[in-house]
Amino acid sequence: MTRHTIIVKKDVQAEDKANAEMERERLGRRGTLVINLLSSPGSGKTSLLEATARHFAGRRTMAVLVGDLETDRDAQRLSPLVPTAQLTTGGACHLELPLVQRGLEALGDPEVDFLFIENVGNLVCPASHDLAEHLRVVLISTTEGDDKPGKYPKMFRTSQAMVITKTDLLPHLPFSVAAVTEDALRIQPKLEIMSVSALNESGMSAWCDFLEQQHQQLLAAYHETATR
Amino acid sequence: MHERSLVKKLLQQVQQIAAAEQADVIEEIHVQIGPLAGIEPLLFETAFAELANLTLGAPCRLHLELVPLTACCADCGEQFEVINFEFRCPVCLADSVHTLQGDEVKLISITVNSEDSLDGART
Repeated sequence: MTRHTIIVKKDVQAEDKANAEMERERLGRRGTLVINLLSSPGSGKTSLLEATARHFAGRRTMAVLVGDLETDRDAQRLSPLVPTAQLTTGGACHLELPLVQRGLEALGDPEVDFLFIENVGNLVCPASHDLAEHLRVVLISTTEGDDKPGKYPKMFRTSQAMVITKTDLLPHLPFSVAAVTEDALRIQPKLEIMSVSALNESGMSAWCDFLEQQHQQLLAAYHETATR
Repeated sequence: MHERSLVKKLLQQVQQIAAAEQADVIEEIHVQIGPLAGIEPLLFETAFAELANLTLGAPCRLHLELVPLTACCADCGEQFEVINFEFRCPVCLADSVHTLQGDEVKLISITVNSEDSLDGART
């Protein structure tokens, strides 16, 4: 018997990341901005999407892939407004790219301006999985407490934007927007931070303007590549 | 918890590499994780203990090495350990830093045993 050590030095998720990069490129090239929405369960991802769909109605096109462990309750809420596919993980705590691609196929691979992926409610596992998004947005609701960024550093480190939700409840809660902002910026100084209430629609314009601006940047980036 | 799915991915890759090297027995797998790998070491070890035997058909040792989280400043080039997830350069205070290690599950090496072939034709 010969004993020897094979040196590998490779990220176990390298292949997944490469596949995600290819899908990101494909969707970006045709002008679809992919947004991965992440948060704890119940922090308002579906409500934010409902309000976003109402805001963009007739002006911009969007589709939603919604991930849950079980049921199609979120898809039932969203499908009257926008094309929606439910991704049911059957108990798994996060979405992975093949499931997202299957959902996209189920919708007929629509050429929309915005493709939202509503991830499984969980601030831990989804942070480790690239779903080909151009933009990762973490939601934190005012009822969850302002100490969350430091507790879930990977989620905040890997996000480009943080949306504070349910701001209509702020007068009733000890939640500090300044504290959560400071904690999040310590981990990800480049984080874009917005506050919204999907209920009374405050902050919705700023959120949608941000999305439009990101979409414009995506179009410009690919236009530049095409004309170079 | 997604440790199980990552252990499965790891074992599949180990199997492929070992097969390509015509190894008969996989003795040890060396894996590095860091504070931002999104892995709970105990859960990873438990999942490994359960799945390794099942996938590889024989017991196999896991050397799970915990590495510190380090980053490099994009402005001044300083390399530093990230303490308390504070992503700011300790020298020039710039906040444009990129992670060097500690944010992934990295397969470092596999120690294998191979049957010496009689005709020495192992390539």
